[in-house]
Amino acid sequence: MVQTVLFRLLWMVVLVLVQALVLNNVNILGYITPYLYIYIILKADVNESRNSVMLWAFLCGILVDIFSDSPGINAASSVFLAFVRPNVLSLFVSRDALEQGVPSIKTIGIGAFTKYVSVSALLHHSFLVAVSYFSLTSVGEMILRVVLSSVLTVVFILLIDNIRK
Amino acid sequence: MRNLINFLIKYNYWLVFLGLELICFVLMFRFNRYQGSVFFTSVNELAASVYETTSSVSSYFNLRSENEKLMDRNIQLQAELAGLKTIVAELGKDTVSLLPSQYQTFKARVINNSINKDDNYITLDKGAEDGIAPDMGVIGAGGVVGIVYLVSENRSLVVSVLNSKASISCKVRGSNYFGNLKWTGGDSKVATLFDMPNHAEVAEGDTIVTSGFSSVFPEGLPVGTVKSVANNNDGLSYIVKVDLSTDFGNISDVRVFRNNMGEEQTNLEETVKGK
Repeated sequence: MVQTVLFRLLWMVVLVLVQALVLNNVNILGYITPYLYIYIILKADVNESRNSVMLWAFLCGILVDIFSDSPGINAASSVFLAFVRPNVLSLFVSRDALEQGVPSIKTIGIGAFTKYVSVSALLHHSFLVAVSYFSLTSVGEMILRVVLSSVLTVVFILLIDNIRK
Repeated sequence: MRNLINFLIKYNYWLVFLGLELICFVLMFRFNRYQGSVFFTSVNELAASVYETTSSVSSYFNLRSENEKLMDRNIQLQAELAGLKTIVAELGKDTVSLLPSQYQTFKARVINNSINKDDNYITLDKGAEDGIAPDMGVIGAGGVVGIVYLVSENRSLVVSVLNSKASISCKVRGSNYFGNLKWTGGDSKVATLFDMPNHAEVAEGDTIVTSGFSSVFPEGLPVGTVKSVANNNDGLSYIVKVDLSTDFGNISDVRVFRNNMGEEQTNLEETVKGK
């Protein structure tokens, strides 16, 4: 248990630092910024309670917010993702198929994992972009930003998960 | 009651979710200027629209007094404008007075003018007493107007460009090919440039200016623009139609040029002709 928590903390520090120091400065075409830190939420154990994952997500989001000078925005989006994650996961994976607990390419297969990550990324990014624009005056730009950033986030996450296995 | 508690326990993650989001949004509105401003302005918008409606109604109530104030102000400004106009009229500094010192200018006002006769003359309100003498050039705001023909003590008669007696030496701006500008009757906006050699480069739209060859006008005063170019029957020259830049139907203030060396130049040229 302690080991899991420490391991996750380590991952969180690394991901937050990568997000804050590198990815937040990635601004391809002025739209595309990948949000890799959602990886930590996506990799939570299936049997872990929603509340616990949401608290982790909140912590992670707040840390990213502190570094990107946007209190609340990333935290709200990642709590939202943690909240809907079990439902997203159940769309693509039956409970029986996932016994080991942690969703990954190895455990649920590349197809299901890609779908799971893509839908999660789209939801998270939509929430984040909607909250940071906070108006509907430039819907086209918002959609473009969500879709392009999601693509990049998904690619990064698949790469990392592929390496870890 | 027990059911409610059971329900809350079962869906407690909803409460946690809403609680965490609440914290996030409080942070957001508290520390992010943009989101905060959007939030508070949209709250304020309702109040603002109410205020706007009331003020747009109430603004009609004092229209009468506003109108009176505006009229007062208008009259005051008109009086001020009239005063300034008289002052400006006395100040003769304009580009014309910046010409080489060889030329001296006099202000004059047109008191009689015609454009529809075969030979048109313009009468000015200045005469010999003001320093005006025959053969002085006259220009207006648009360009060349004519040449002084006769002077009396306080009046002078100007041969307008729109007169068969007038012949003004002109050239195309930017080259030195020149010809004589004459008016052949008809349209008061168009005159003809004769004797322009047919190897000269003239194109539609070129600016025609005074050549400065005669002693009447300094070089480079605007006359008009080329309207069309045609070959003359003599096979040596062009006939160039010129759109005059001066609106002869509407001239009031003009400047009269005195060329301080004009007499010298004329005398010199006359001695050659005499021989």
